[in-house]
Formats: sequence, C-alpha cells, structure tokens
Amino acid sequence: MKIDITKKLEQLKKDGRKILGCFPLYPPLELFYAMDLVPVVLWGLRGSVPDTAESDRLLQNYTCSVARHLTEFVLSEDSGLLDGLFMYNACDTLRNLPEIIEKGLEKNGRSLPLIKVHIPMVLPAQTDASAYFKNEIHHLVKELEERFDVSFSKDKFVEAVKKFKHVRNLMVRAENRVTQGRLSFLNFADAIHECWFSTVEEQIRILESLIEGLSGEVEFSTDNNTRHGVILSGILPPPTSVINAIESSGLRVVGNDIASLGRSYACMPEISEDPGAYFLDFYYQHFPCPTLLYTGDRRTTSLFGLMEKTGASGVIFVGEKFCEYEYFEFPHLVQQLKDKGIQTLEIEIAIEDDAQTSAHDSRISAFAELLKSNA
Amino acid sequence: MPEKVKTEKVKTSAGRHLSKVVGDAYMDLHAKAAQGAFVVWIAINVPAELFLGFENVVYGVPESHAALNAAKGVGVLQCEKAERLGYSMDLCSYARIDIGSVSDGGKDSPTFGLPKPHLLVSDNNNCSLLVKWFDVHHRRIGVPHFVIDVPFCYEPQKEKDRKYIIQQFKDLIRTIEEMSGQKFDMDKALAAVSNTSEGIRHWKRFLSFAEHQPSGITAFDSFVQMAPFLVARGTSQFVDHYKLLTDETEQRVTEGIFPVPDEKYRLFWDNIAPWHQLRNMSGGLAKFGANIVGATYTLCIGTVEGSFDLFDYDGGDALEYCARTQNCYICPHGMKLRGKSMQTVVEKLNIDGIVFASNRSCKPYSVTQLDQQKLMTDQFGVPSVMIDVDHADARKYSEESTFTRLEALLEQIEAKRAA
Ligand code: SF4
Ligand code: SF4
Repeated sequence: MKIDITKKLEQLKKDGRKILGCFPLYPPLELFYAMDLVPVVLWGLRGSVPDTAESDRLLQNYTCSVARHLTEFVLSEDSGLLDGLFMYNACDTLRNLPEIIEKGLEKNGRSLPLIKVHIPMVLPAQTDASAYFKNEIHHLVKELEERFDVSFSKDKFVEAVKKFKHVRNLMVRAENRVTQGRLSFLNFADAIHECWFSTVEEQIRILESLIEGLSGEVEFSTDNNTRHGVILSGILPPPTSVINAIESSGLRVVGNDIASLGRSYACMPEISEDPGAYFLDFYYQHFPCPTLLYTGDRRTTSLFGLMEKTGASGVIFVGEKFCEYEYFEFPHLVQQLKDKGIQTLEIEIAIEDDAQTSAHDSRISAFAELLKSNA
Repeated sequence: MPEKVKTEKVKTSAGRHLSKVVGDAYMDLHAKAAQGAFVVWIAINVPAELFLGFENVVYGVPESHAALNAAKGVGVLQCEKAERLGYSMDLCSYARIDIGSVSDGGKDSPTFGLPKPHLLVSDNNNCSLLVKWFDVHHRRIGVPHFVIDVPFCYEPQKEKDRKYIIQQFKDLIRTIEEMSGQKFDMDKALAAVSNTSEGIRHWKRFLSFAEHQPSGITAFDSFVQMAPFLVARGTSQFVDHYKLLTDETEQRVTEGIFPVPDEKYRLFWDNIAPWHQLRNMSGGLAKFGANIVGATYTLCIGTVEGSFDLFDYDGGDALEYCARTQNCYICPHGMKLRGKSMQTVVEKLNIDGIVFASNRSCKPYSVTQLDQQKLMTDQFGVPSVMIDVDHADARKYSEESTFTRLEALLEQIEAKRAA
C-alpha cells in the first residue's frame, strides 16, 4: 500500500483533529464523526510498521497479522497521534486486545482511553436485541461526551450519516469501474485504504478524483474482454505482489467480498437522526461477514449475487492465516460454488508473506489456466 | 512429607462410577433419541439444566464428545477427516474432531457419535468461532441454529448484560417449546439447577484436597472427573457422583494415600487439559516428584469471573443464576480478572511453578498468556514456563521439547529455593 499512514495522522493532528483509532471491522464511524472525532480503522497496517517486534512480546505467534500489526502500530506510535481507541466484539482475538494493549502502553508509561461496546450477535428472528443495542449506543454517546469533551447533536449526526452515505455510494461507483475494467483493482484498493485514514470530506475528494479518472488510469483496456474475471474474498485485499500476480496471469479482479472493502461499504442504512435506530439497521442489514455471526445464512446468496453482478468466472479466497472465522466458511462456500460450476482458489496470507508472496504465483497461474480451459 | 504415605494405582470407586455415569449417559442419549426425544446439541456453557425442564428433551455436547475422542486416542483420526473436507489444520481441534466424526456418522467415535439433532444451540462466551463451527452442522445437517450471545467481561458481569442473557434463555425455551411441542416446567429446571449446585459444592470440596501437602489430587484427576458436567448436569447421578468422588478422596487423604507421595514440586496448569497426554504427562512429572495440583480449567467451574471461590445457588431465580455464571469459564473474561483469580489460588495452593500451556487450537484461552506469565513471574515471583500443546490434536505436541521445558521449570524452582 502506498499511503503513509503516520503522515496522514500527523496532518490530521496539525489540523487540530482528535483521532479515534478503531479496531476492525465495522465501527460506527458516522457517530464518531458527528461528535467531532476522526475515526481511523486500524487495519491494512502491514506497510506501516517495520516489523512486529513489540507485539510479538505480547501476542502468541498464532495470532492473525491484523491483530499483530494493529498492536504494533498502537504501541510503537508514541507521538500521541491517537487520542483514544474504540473496539467492539468483532472476534475472539480482538476482544482480548484492549487489555493487552493497555498493558503494553502502561509499560511504556502511556495510556489511551479505550472505549468498548458490545454489538449483539443474536439472530434477530430469535431474540429482539434492539433495546439492548440502543442502550449500548446511548452509553457510547455519553462516554464519548465525557471522555473527549464533545457533544452529540442530531443535526450533526444526520449530516455525518449523509456524508458517509455519499462516500459509500462513491465506493460502489468506483467498484463498478473496476468491474467494467476501467480502473485497476490495485488503485481502487489503495484509494479505499487511504479513506480509512482520512476525514470524510477527504474521502469524498479521494473517491471523486479516482472516479473522474484523475488518479485511476485504465489499466488493461486492450484485452479486458479476453481476461477472466475473478472475485476476491477475505478480510483484507492481498498484498500488491499477489494482486500483480493475479493480473499478470491473465485474470482480472472484477469484484470483491473483502471486509475492508466491499463488505464495509455495501450497506446503506436509512438516514435517521437516532443513532440507535440507524446502527441497528446498519449492523443487521450489513453485507454478510463471518464475524457478524447472524449473517452466516446470507453469505452464499451474497456471493452468488456478486458473481452475477460482475460476471466473474471464479473466486479467489484470500485466507488471513489464523482467522478462524473465514476458514470455517471456506469449505461450505467452495462446495456451493463448485455445485454451480464456479471454480475457486484458496490462498493463505501469513505475516511472513510481508517479504515473499511468490509462493502463490504458480497456483494463481494454474488457476488462470483452469478458467481459460473451462471457458 | 507425612510418614504414613502410600500410593495406589488401582481404579477407585469414583473412577469406576465415572465410567458408568459417562457410559450410561451416552447410551441413554442414543436410546431416548431413537425413541423420539427432541435432541439438542449444545455448546459446553449452555445451561443444560434448562433442557431438564422439558419432559423429553435430551442434549449432546460436541466439545465433550471431541474431548472423549481425543482422550481415547482417535482425535487425530477424526481431525484428518475434517481436514480432507477442507477444514484448515489451524482451526480448533475440538471442532475438527467433531466435524470429522459427524462426516461419517460417528464411525470411529467411542460413543458412536451423537444422535442427529433437531436443534443446535451455540454460544459465543468461550469463543465466537464455536458459532461458526455449529454453523457448519447447521448447513450440513440442515437443522436450526440458536445463538446465545454473551458479552465478554472486562469487569464483573454487568446487570444489563445479565438481563440480556436471561432474555435469550427465555427465547431459547420458547423456541424449544415451539419446535418440540413440549411445555417447559420451571420447577423441573429449578430442581436441576439445585442438583447441579449441590454437585458443584462437592466438586469444590474435591478440588480443595489440592491444598493438602502432598496434594490429595492431581489436576489430571480433576480433568477426567469433569465429564459428568458435560453429560449429567442437573441430575441426581451428578450429585451422587461428586459426593462419592469427594468422600473417597477425603478417605484416601485421611489414610495417607496420595497420587504423588514424594511431592517436591507443586505446579499449576493454565489452559484446557491436554487430553491425549494425561497419562504420559502425569506419569512423567511424578518421576520428578512434581504434581500439577490445580488448573484454571477445572477451578473456574461453579464460580463467577475473577474468583475461583464457589458461587453458590441461593434457591432463587434459576435463569438469573444460570446467566450470572455464564462468564465463569476462563475464556469469557479478560486478563485482569484472570490474573486476579490465578494469583489468589496460586497462594492458596502454595504453588511452586506455573505451566502455561500455549494452545494454538484455543486462541481465546491462550492469547493473553504472555502477559499473564509476566504478571505471575515478574510481579508475583512465581516461576513459570510456556509449553506448546494442542488440547486434542496430538500432532501438534512434542513430548521431548515439553519435558525439556518442564525440567527447566523445576530447575527454576530449585534456584529460587536456593536463593
Ligand atoms: S483477521 Fe480475523 S482473527 Fe484477525 S482480527 Fe480480523 S476477524 Fe479477527
Ligand atoms: S477455540 Fe477454545 S473455547 Fe473455542 S471451542 Fe475450541 S477449545 Fe473451546
């Protein structure tokens, strides 16, 4: 990834903004924004920390790279760029991180306010968790007000909601350009990545300029039609070298079921001035993700929908090593796709893959050949 | 060390009774299922007492069944079946064993698997991935899956969370009523909770024999003796079994019969039991005069987060009690609470050293262990060691390197004593 996250955060600080570092995956961004905080989602930090020396002292080596990079980033960033941290119960690893990070900071003589919220994971058809959830959001608002000396206003919330809706629409439009072959997946993924560390106004600018072709050149206009389209599915987009290997093998990424990309922007809740009602809608209507436990049954349908929309001929599952949520679903999804004659490939990205990803090249080439021969 | 010290290798009455309780429970489960009972598969922490509130609802616990497979030496065989279906070796080994066993109808299982369920009930308090695991069955078997969502505790459980859990228990009861056509009887559930609670009181007394020096028990005994919690909770057999176990242990202590009579090192275990190594590990340690006398895994039963003391049932609202104890196991609560209970018990049991079993299969148990180890060793001065052991997949265990580390721990203890 090309962006310098630290520089971006430094600029935000210079502009006098308060930055809230949010643990992945789907924090209530609009609320933070409406309360004069700039939420940044702490994923895709692979290129932003030199190594994981500090986090390796705190986390077992069978923890996923997302958690290890996040921990490293927060602990090694000692220039006070972050004003606080936010997390919700996204996964078993993340729920244990707050105290680990707290201890790590303490050791370095630092501390950061850490705000935690429980997002109900019950199936809506079985238990009505709306009252519980609204209460959580209500307490979150109060805690933010107390900790950061900010205040909530309905008008500002609606304004933030509208802006984020606009951003999500722009992201979908940019994704459509990828599907049409008018924008490379790499540039698209980089732009979205930059958005996670930008103000909402800056996100709008990044995306508009991307869509208008100012920064996203047409990558393979000449042979688009001869390339087989694939969908990438996983937590994060694979490293650049893997994307390059996919594209140079004669394939083209035409869509994604990636947590930090499509799964994050696909959901467009109804505009509401009540954050409880808005986020209830946001989480329950969310694009399926293995970490949102109640969305499991919608997963296959959403993947098939994506295949249809993009005309892809195969799916590449990008497994984040040690992310059990993703791995539990792969065999079922692979089987479902296979039953429909859709080819799949599974690749695994481990923390060691920072340096070498060429191991995947031959499998990607073989997969491309398979798609060609099946055409 | 007392003079009148004897050891005894024969199977105790409680050992024989345990085999009977477990054998009967599985046979009963299969028989009732064959006669048309409503079958539920539940996660370990789902309060089984609720099912006893129904006339004809039976339950099986896939985690417990997986542990049994591992203890009987077929864990790897079952894991490999799941791996052939595409399930990664990095996934929890309980899940792989269970998925493997279900894939061929329980062919190699010591209990012939579990009878086909009508409903799956998982919860995410120990781990959320268990919900993903039960989802695998939900899709393959095609039965509904009820998810109980238990908020993680960084601090003692909050009332708002308890109410939320109770609401879900009520929804679960309603779901079973609708699906099975049976009526729930709260009095029966209350009686079941009372039985469990009485059994737990005996259990706690049984564990307290670890305070004796030499210890009256090993943690390995207690691991094995956990089985009735998974197959017979809420029943009178449950109470009888733990009474027998405790009385017999007391008798043995009185008579000076100890599992490691020449006990030189009193150790403590942190993580799930290494099911495939119980005999080897206890025997290997005993040769050095070392005994693992206690474990977080067994001590947390019947408590609430942050303490290993008994949290007794007061005879009141059964759902309230079940909800209050939902975070008692180690995984559903945070590092500070874990540290608090461990520190207290280490002092109480006069522990010389701690074995942190880093378990790749169970990240929720293991992920905080590096900090936990620092806390216990650097802050409280208790020597410790980190070993690698998967609780149910023997392929991810090396006896040689484990014992090298365990011996290093004993040396650390000696060095501390000499200092
Ligand atoms: S990649 Fe998976 S395991 Fe890692 S933080 Fe994300 S959801 Fe959790
Ligand atoms: S990961 Fe741990 S808590 Fe979860 S099912 Fe496996 S052994 Fe149990």
